[in-house]
Amino acid sequence: MEFQAHQIKDILKIDYRYTMGGQSKFFIELMNNKKLLGTKCTKCGKIWMPPRINCSECYEPAEWVEMKQTGTIEVSTIVWYTTSAFIKAIPYGIGFIRLDGADTAMLQGIFSENLIPSKVKKGKKVRAVFQKEREGKMTDFFFVPEDEYESWIIKPEYEGGSE
Amino acid sequence: MEKVAIIGIGITPFKARYLDKTYFELAYDATKLALEDANKQGAEITHKDLQSTVYGIYNELFERQFMPDIFINSYIGMNNKPGTRIASGGATGGYTVRMAYAEVASGLSDLCLCLGVEKCNDCYDIQTGTTTPEVLNAIAYSADMTYEYPMGMMAASSYVSMVNAHFEEFGSPTEEQMALVSVKNHGNAINNPKAQSPMKITVEDVMNSRIICYPFKMLDCCLYSEASAALILANEEKVKELKIDNPIWITGVAAANTDCFIGNREDMGRLYSNIYAAKAAYKMAGLDYNKIKEQIDVAELHDAFSGQEVISYEELGFVPFGEGGKWIEEGGPMIDGELPCCPCGGLIGCGHAVGATGIMSTGEAALQLRGDAGKHQIIIEKGRGLAHSIGGPGAAYAAIIIMENQEAKK
Ligand SMILES: [Zn+2]
Repeated sequence: MEFQAHQIKDILKIDYRYTMGGQSKFFIELMNNKKLLGTKCTKCGKIWMPPRINCSECYEPAEWVEMKQTGTIEVSTIVWYTTSAFIKAIPYGIGFIRLDGADTAMLQGIFSENLIPSKVKKGKKVRAVFQKEREGKMTDFFFVPEDEYESWIIKPEYEGGSE
Repeated sequence: MEKVAIIGIGITPFKARYLDKTYFELAYDATKLALEDANKQGAEITHKDLQSTVYGIYNELFERQFMPDIFINSYIGMNNKPGTRIASGGATGGYTVRMAYAEVASGLSDLCLCLGVEKCNDCYDIQTGTTTPEVLNAIAYSADMTYEYPMGMMAASSYVSMVNAHFEEFGSPTEEQMALVSVKNHGNAINNPKAQSPMKITVEDVMNSRIICYPFKMLDCCLYSEASAALILANEEKVKELKIDNPIWITGVAAANTDCFIGNREDMGRLYSNIYAAKAAYKMAGLDYNKIKEQIDVAELHDAFSGQEVISYEELGFVPFGEGGKWIEEGGPMIDGELPCCPCGGLIGCGHAVGATGIMSTGEAALQLRGDAGKHQIIIEKGRGLAHSIGGPGAAYAAIIIMENQEAKK
């Protein structure tokens, strides 16, 4: 007899209230005051951004420092095909941004009126733009090329940072 | 430490989907194939002779089952023996071989089963009515969930970041050089009956395929695959006792985890994990990082994305930094080149059955050294080969396995 295949529909879903622990201050300051906080190692002086409250190299505490909201693209890409959770957002730019003064780079969205590879290339200066409605999550902000900053912060859903 | 040999190799076909097999049935198939292969080499063993299992299992979401290893353990008849699960992203296979090696080298087991299984394409995206976006979503949860997942990071954008940074530094690999990897590996797969994506294509075909994430195109990326791969590892005493004709000795195993946050890396355009793992594995095998291209016959590389294969030529010491692109233009890694890379088709040609892939790559290199690779057999002169596995967030995991056929060497 010919083989007959059978499949069943299923879904896995878990709800969380996920703890931000020692990093909580980063998300609270982002949400309430549009500040970007990094941390500075009390021993080696390394500035971590995204922040960690302990220096992974020295095993010493790292203290909160307010970062500038401008930085440089280290590397980027434009995504044209992606996961089910993001497919409605294509095309979107993402890249590793080194905030001025930071020793590490953070992954963030890079928005542009003209999203082409040369606009979001290594070395381009970018500046943070914030959502008006913020939830204390990484999606509360994104980066735009510095010369587009003024045109982004006048849009009704966005605003400039604390600087 | 005990010497460790591969005495049995079982690889199922790599397919987009198996509707006629469950995950556990696939695990059984590769185990049975590996036992049959060992028995063809002279052994007379069954699963009852295997003393332990090391399982390569990538993620729970693909399999819709947490702790899949204990259920495989039941299905393959390995109850009341130790079974240990390894999960190291795309490098799961390589790390599984490393731990199975350790199981035997340490003396804990004389005969150990190294088994990787994948059935990823049961994930299904209802909104697009296709499989891949949901498979990619299940993988994307391995990005840092707090800082990186919310940005829409996925496997391709993670690899492309390294490739773009490498290009900024060296002007290579170019899009055309990356396309050559795809042409080579899809082409090599034509002679591998187990491959999912055999194709005769041109650089233009790759360049004209749809953009995935700049500058990767569809044909620069491997497809996700379902398959199972198993190796039976034995110590020297067992090799003698079982009268194995053609043992493939594992002479070097090494792994390294680099920083999973690409933004923390000093050089974003290279994987130090590849460099550290390669140097350590070569040293263990008595080989030289600066001469490795002349010391091995075959390299099964982790070509999940074409651009990373080019960079791996450099990180693994085949050519100096910045010269990987030139090397493929000159034909170096082609099947008839200086050092054939991925003669089986690699991940681009065979598909990427994540939990099984690195075990398949190791098995494929071992088959080449044994002279049993069939239509894609290459010439073996030095008797040595290499298998390479990378993966995880920012491709942070890397493992290298060095194998040797001591009969072929003379
Ligand atoms: Zn420090």
